[in-house]
Amino acid sequence: MILPILILLAATSVIIVAIPVFVNMPFKPQTVAGVEWSYRLRRFSPLTTAVALILFLALCVRLWQGSPWQIRLTMTLLLAVFISFIWFSRQNYFEWAFRPLPNPDYAAIAEATFISGSDMVLAVEINGDAVAYPVRHIAYHHLINDLVGGRPITATY
Amino acid sequence: MWESEFDGKKLKFHLVAINNQNFIMQDEETGTWWQQVSGEAIQGPLKGKRLTQAFHDELSFAIWKREHPSGRVLRPDERVRQKYEPANWEEDAAKQPVVTPVSPNDKLQPRALVVGIEINGKAVAYPQSAIEKQRLILHSVGATPLFILLGEDNKSVRAFEREVDGRTLEFFVKADATPLQIVDAETGTTWNFSGKAINGPLVGKQLKRVAVLKDYWFDWKLYHPDTSVYILGESLKQ
Repeated sequence: MILPILILLAATSVIIVAIPVFVNMPFKPQTVAGVEWSYRLRRFSPLTTAVALILFLALCVRLWQGSPWQIRLTMTLLLAVFISFIWFSRQNYFEWAFRPLPNPDYAAIAEATFISGSDMVLAVEINGDAVAYPVRHIAYHHLINDLVGGRPITATY
Repeated sequence: MWESEFDGKKLKFHLVAINNQNFIMQDEETGTWWQQVSGEAIQGPLKGKRLTQAFHDELSFAIWKREHPSGRVLRPDERVRQKYEPANWEEDAAKQPVVTPVSPNDKLQPRALVVGIEINGKAVAYPQSAIEKQRLILHSVGATPLFILLGEDNKSVRAFEREVDGRTLEFFVKADATPLQIVDAETGTTWNFSGKAINGPLVGKQLKRVAVLKDYWFDWKLYHPDTSVYILGESLKQ
């Protein structure tokens, strides 16, 4: 009676977290609805999984007393799975694949030995401040939050 | 390249998702999801709003450093240096699959490189191959006469409006000039790749830059479904 509910709670949380992962694969197409659901699930999964965890723990406490070791083991394993998915729901896994660059650092042209003349750059100039972002670097980071000529900009590629 | 200030608030962005091979970014402040190529908020509290583009250029380092001798260059992140693309990354990218539907009427391959221009809702895609063949393309986008110009590195592409002081000029490449120079037929003024007049009656004048986007055809078409495509040798529209 209680155990199926525990399994259901854990499974629901796994699904809530897993759906956006599968919708957002780089070489699969996305639909508008898919993106909308990914947004909603990712936004609310930290909260819904936390609520589900509280229910889960409350039921576990009820079930624990007088249960055989197999049931206790199952509950413990379910809890471990549950907690790992809750942790995952709070991660931005896209930034695992493409690490952000939180503190951009710059070289003067004479010191820029890491780039050759034929390499392409994404360039911006604001208020006389000229910055070049080598395309090969920004193609990895995807975006860089920066300040150019006193204006906050986000370089994207 | 986007201005990060929106409605007086400075936003900090993170890569968050992918949408048909163009990424989505999220701002920390509101949690809104923004489409990278269009700057449009597609989910979240600011849905429907758009970021403002910061004018930018995509060109070779050699030309950029000549034009901005005191500019600064982003340093590589040493921790992830081995993950950066190799020098020939564009060849590999060209072979990657495309996930959006391809129209059989399309004259261009999905991953053909185009230079896209949009002015007042009118969009035109100029295939990179056409630009490489012509070097200078005289054209118009909607009611705006402009020209596309390929730099002497055969990679950097810029676009400029052809109107100067109320007059629409015709430009052509000056033969045997290094670095690249162009001349207008009406006054004989010589201009450089930055659009600055360096010699002749209009010396000192600056041509107005037009924002261009170097993009894959499939992505440009997805965000500009009514775009027209420039065909090599097409006659000038006035």
